[in-house]
Amino acid sequence: MKVKYLIFGLLAMAISAMAGAQERYPVKWDYKGQSFTEFVSKCEVSFPVRFFYNEEWIRDYKLGDYEGELTVTDILDSLFLGKSMYYYADDHQNIVITKGFAIKKSEKAAAEQEKYIPGNDYTGTSEENKIAGNVVVDIGNPSDKNKPGNVVISGYITNTDTHEAIAGATVFIPRLSAGTISNEYGFYNLTVPRGSYSLRYSFIGMKERVVDINLYGAGELNIEMKSTLVPLKETVISADKNVTLQRFEVGVERINITSFRLMPTAMGESDIIKSILLIPGVQSVGEGSAGFNVRGGSADQNLILLYSAPVYNSSHFFGFFSAVNSDIIKDVTLYKGGIPSRYGGRLSSVLDIIPREGNKREFIGNAGISPITTHVVVEGPIKKDTISYILAGRTTYSNWIFGLIENPALRNSMASFYDINARVAYDIDKKNKADLSAYHSHDAFRFNSDTTYKYENNIVTLRWRHFFSSRFFSGISLNNSSYKYDISSERVPQESFILSHKINSTNLKADLNWYPGSRNEINFGADLSRYEVLPGSFVPKGDSSIVQSDVIARQRALEPALYIEDKFIVTDYLSVNAGLRLSSYFAFGPQSILIYDPSYTKSVSSVIDTLNFGKLDNYKTYAGPEFRLSANLRLNDNSSFKVNYNRTRQYLHLLSNTISISPSDTWKLSDYNLKPQVGDQFAAGYYRMLNKNKIEASAEIYFKEIKNLVDFKGGTDLIMNTNIERDLVNVEGKAYGVEFLLKKPEGRLRWSVGYTYSRTLIKSTSSFSEERINGGKWFPANYDKPHDLILTLNYLYSRRISFSANYTYSSGRPVTYPVASYKIGDIVLTHYSERNEYRLPYYSRLDLSLKLSGNLKSKKIAHPHWIFSLYNALGRENVYSVYFKNEKNVIKGYMLSVFGRPIPSVSFNFDF
Amino acid sequence: MAIYSGPVVLSLLLLVSACVTNFIPETNEDNNILVVEGLITDQYRTNVIKISTSFPLGKPMGAKPLKGCQVTITDENNISYNLKESFFGRYITDSTEFRGHVGGTYTLRIVAGNLTYVSSPMEMLPVPPVDSLFYEKEVIVESNEWGRPEEGCQIYLSTYDQLNNCLYYRWDFTETWEFQIPYPVPNSRCWITEHSDNIYIKNTSVYSQAKVTDFPLHFVSNATDRLNVKYSILVNQYSLSEDEYNFWEKVQNVLENVGGLYDVTPVTISSNIHCLTNPEEIVLGYFSVSAVSQKRLFIKDSFSGLPVLYRYNRCFGDTIWGNADIPGLNVYAWVIEDYITYKIITWEKDCADCTTRGTLVRPSFWDQ
Repeated sequence: MKVKYLIFGLLAMAISAMAGAQERYPVKWDYKGQSFTEFVSKCEVSFPVRFFYNEEWIRDYKLGDYEGELTVTDILDSLFLGKSMYYYADDHQNIVITKGFAIKKSEKAAAEQEKYIPGNDYTGTSEENKIAGNVVVDIGNPSDKNKPGNVVISGYITNTDTHEAIAGATVFIPRLSAGTISNEYGFYNLTVPRGSYSLRYSFIGMKERVVDINLYGAGELNIEMKSTLVPLKETVISADKNVTLQRFEVGVERINITSFRLMPTAMGESDIIKSILLIPGVQSVGEGSAGFNVRGGSADQNLILLYSAPVYNSSHFFGFFSAVNSDIIKDVTLYKGGIPSRYGGRLSSVLDIIPREGNKREFIGNAGISPITTHVVVEGPIKKDTISYILAGRTTYSNWIFGLIENPALRNSMASFYDINARVAYDIDKKNKADLSAYHSHDAFRFNSDTTYKYENNIVTLRWRHFFSSRFFSGISLNNSSYKYDISSERVPQESFILSHKINSTNLKADLNWYPGSRNEINFGADLSRYEVLPGSFVPKGDSSIVQSDVIARQRALEPALYIEDKFIVTDYLSVNAGLRLSSYFAFGPQSILIYDPSYTKSVSSVIDTLNFGKLDNYKTYAGPEFRLSANLRLNDNSSFKVNYNRTRQYLHLLSNTISISPSDTWKLSDYNLKPQVGDQFAAGYYRMLNKNKIEASAEIYFKEIKNLVDFKGGTDLIMNTNIERDLVNVEGKAYGVEFLLKKPEGRLRWSVGYTYSRTLIKSTSSFSEERINGGKWFPANYDKPHDLILTLNYLYSRRISFSANYTYSSGRPVTYPVASYKIGDIVLTHYSERNEYRLPYYSRLDLSLKLSGNLKSKKIAHPHWIFSLYNALGRENVYSVYFKNEKNVIKGYMLSVFGRPIPSVSFNFDF
Repeated sequence: MAIYSGPVVLSLLLLVSACVTNFIPETNEDNNILVVEGLITDQYRTNVIKISTSFPLGKPMGAKPLKGCQVTITDENNISYNLKESFFGRYITDSTEFRGHVGGTYTLRIVAGNLTYVSSPMEMLPVPPVDSLFYEKEVIVESNEWGRPEEGCQIYLSTYDQLNNCLYYRWDFTETWEFQIPYPVPNSRCWITEHSDNIYIKNTSVYSQAKVTDFPLHFVSNATDRLNVKYSILVNQYSLSEDEYNFWEKVQNVLENVGGLYDVTPVTISSNIHCLTNPEEIVLGYFSVSAVSQKRLFIKDSFSGLPVLYRYNRCFGDTIWGNADIPGLNVYAWVIEDYITYKIITWEKDCADCTTRGTLVRPSFWDQ
């Protein structure tokens, strides 16, 4: 085996390959304080070895005083530890030192049918090499060159500066149009025929690396990638080019975190939930509404994961801000279909927010200020290259603004929020990594010193990752997530109360990834969640209160699941991803259950029995398999066809009878009367690269069926409702749609055009006429918006100036209008049409933003940048809702627009 | 209980840039639904059951009475009482013959053509007297354009049922106020009477006592002339069953707690009356049975920053010199100030004659 360096531009260094024996030579001389060059000369004199390296890399290296009798390789091990320097000792007495990537030899030789694909001439004269870069690596034994079959190249991708694993990096071989994406450990695995290729490693915000390889046999290639110092430098990097073709799933979207930061904002805050609304198939009820709807799913059917724990309330400030601070986000993936079997518990989508680990090399930070919020993030090593921390906080100063208002009612009001994220990551050794993360968010608002609303999320996660081998990983996480709110009033001391609701879940998950052989990638594990829900408690506040304590019995349940999934490469053109999740649900006492006569609608009078269950008695069990299947058929080098089927089950429901979900909605676990929701999605997609692979085009079609949805009889308060089942109406849903996307994800000018046609329909299934909404006919869901057009544009004018624009058009959402009015005494009441029979006017919004960065001198203490945004630049009064009020005996209609005019904002950020 | 966050959210939105525009929805009118409304009380008075059909939207109420129905009220002893048809679909009891009593249970039965409608049996629950009715001045604007604070009047109500029988309350009220046109015109002092058209309810079942403390019943803003001379409010207090309370609470959620970010999905709230002949038929309205107690409050106080409703620049139309004829007098023009050498006329009848808005008849309960 030989390793050859071809270094262009910087230096010319003679490389020769020599034959020889092994290099285990004990070093007997006193090397302490020797420079590396001296050490090498001495070695080359003392032993039959030859070193190959670039002198610039090791200029400052001095040998230390290492204990015991060491060999040459021991010394190199100590010297290079944690310095992104590697060496490779071959069978011919050559020691080759590499920087930024490691070469490992694998003894595995695949025995299959294909032949070596002769490479381009890699001696340094060809155009390909000049473009490609500076390294040619041989992997495997050249004598295996003509053996048949495919071989596997694998390895880890890490960030040079922070030593974090890079998840989601693209590894791509343009010649074969083959590629893959690194997993959450930064590991990648690519099966290709033997041959000579250029391997491109790219990731948003990282400098692209190209490594030329001669692949003779299976092997590992570990790569370190450098962050681009200034984010705008990524103008030159290539994004997930072509990899859409390689992925197995239909409907998986990774959010480009840097483009996300350039997105126009409504109030100067980058917002992750708002950014996913730009993905075809994702909609919301209206602006300012919390939650989002994925392919016709309701807002509680989205699993939002932060630190692998569910976030129960995803918004601050009535939905105007995401609850998760974007400063800590490394990467976000939305699964709107093709949900891997390791995720479960929600029907429609998974939004997996992967937070950053913190810089392991140096202390850095970022702070910013915008019209409503201010935020700061600091990170750095606790022990260099081993333990790092990251701490981020965000708060509003809106209370200060309220204090300035002349209106006494508003001056006594308040609305504020803050959130804190913290994480400590510890690389115990090469095989073990652990991290501890915590998140806390808090919101409070009050109107005219009357009722105060407070709500908060809390998450703590401990995670331990162990690498059994380079092909077998495990991750164990234990997390606790809770959401609670308190509503309290002290207007009248006699009636002062605190009303609370709380959900608490603890989850233990063991997740294993195994890459046996070259054709399988197996992910399996076990997932156990324990839930405890306090449906509601209403207790007095203060001594003079005559409020009677009322606490609705807590609900408790366990949700265990086992899952396995195999990504299986059948042939070069066909790969299959088959997964199974066995999900189950056990509800536990103490609980008393009312049994209703099934021949009547549920009410006080139809109760026929009460069952009492003691502590830990299992009173209801639900279980079922969830199949997750997808197939990817590569039609040719630049197009592919994928199909997908998904079943998902959901045992946790958010009870909401409002148009958009509200912070005071309550969570409820499945029980006797509330069955788990079950969803089936069928999807198919066609993907094609256009214009020399610069433009991605895709078309996806889906059909979805949802069983056991819940709706409500009208007008009821759901809070502190002891017998909520009496107000529930069983409904089922179906959704279908087609999504088209054209996207140019790279270059100075990036754009995308997405169009979706979709319908979401609901039908009540009850046999009682009073529970049949619209007489049991299909009717559109609140978030059914058939036409949806989204245009985005980013123009990176220079490294310091960039411009971006988004345009959204969608059909108005369905609304219910009154069709008649009547009087009781002097009160005018309204009689409503069939549910959602009418529609709001269409929605149209253009947002613009301009980002200016300070100068790019890297030695400057702080790097400032400004973002100027104009939200709703067209100033269109997009209607959020209509409502009807009695004005002097006439029912009048009103249209409410949340942002009825252009909203300018500016935010200032600086990195330090 | 109603956890009402509508105004909070809306007010915060206004800080941002929310805007509201009104419109009249164009819908397929569906105005042939039977509406029944009625109230049986424990008072010596005529009880009225009104039967009509619903009316189209966006237009002032036009009653479409349903004539020729047979209306019967049956009590807990199965004794039936037939109501007499009055006019405009009103069916009345004779106050000398029929009076509800606390503890009684009443069922309404209507036969209209070949359709029969019947209400759920409704029990009359006792109601305590209104404990206190009082007001507080409340600053609306701390400093208006003339540098003065502006005040309104918040009226509160407290009540207490020591026997713990009346857990659910509803109130309605009638406002009467005196106003004065500031010109020496013949009809310058009038009284106006208006009925409340909002829903005022309270659930005390969550308290250890059936006690309502400082319930904010009504806010009288300074945008009207209610507070200028003298104001009076008469409150009716009703005792509701849990069912009726739930009905009003739902109506309130759908009808009044709207215009924010978290409006409930609107639906028609079902009535306690249903059609026996055709169970699928929708019936609107409610048959209420309640004991009633009353309390009146007078307010004659000085409130800061009350606007003068009749501004000179609005009322002053023209100045007529001498004894010249005024063309269109009492048709298009009215004299509001009459001097020997000149008269000041107005083209707005409101400025010259209080009877356009109120009545000259002093209410019987009005003292000086």
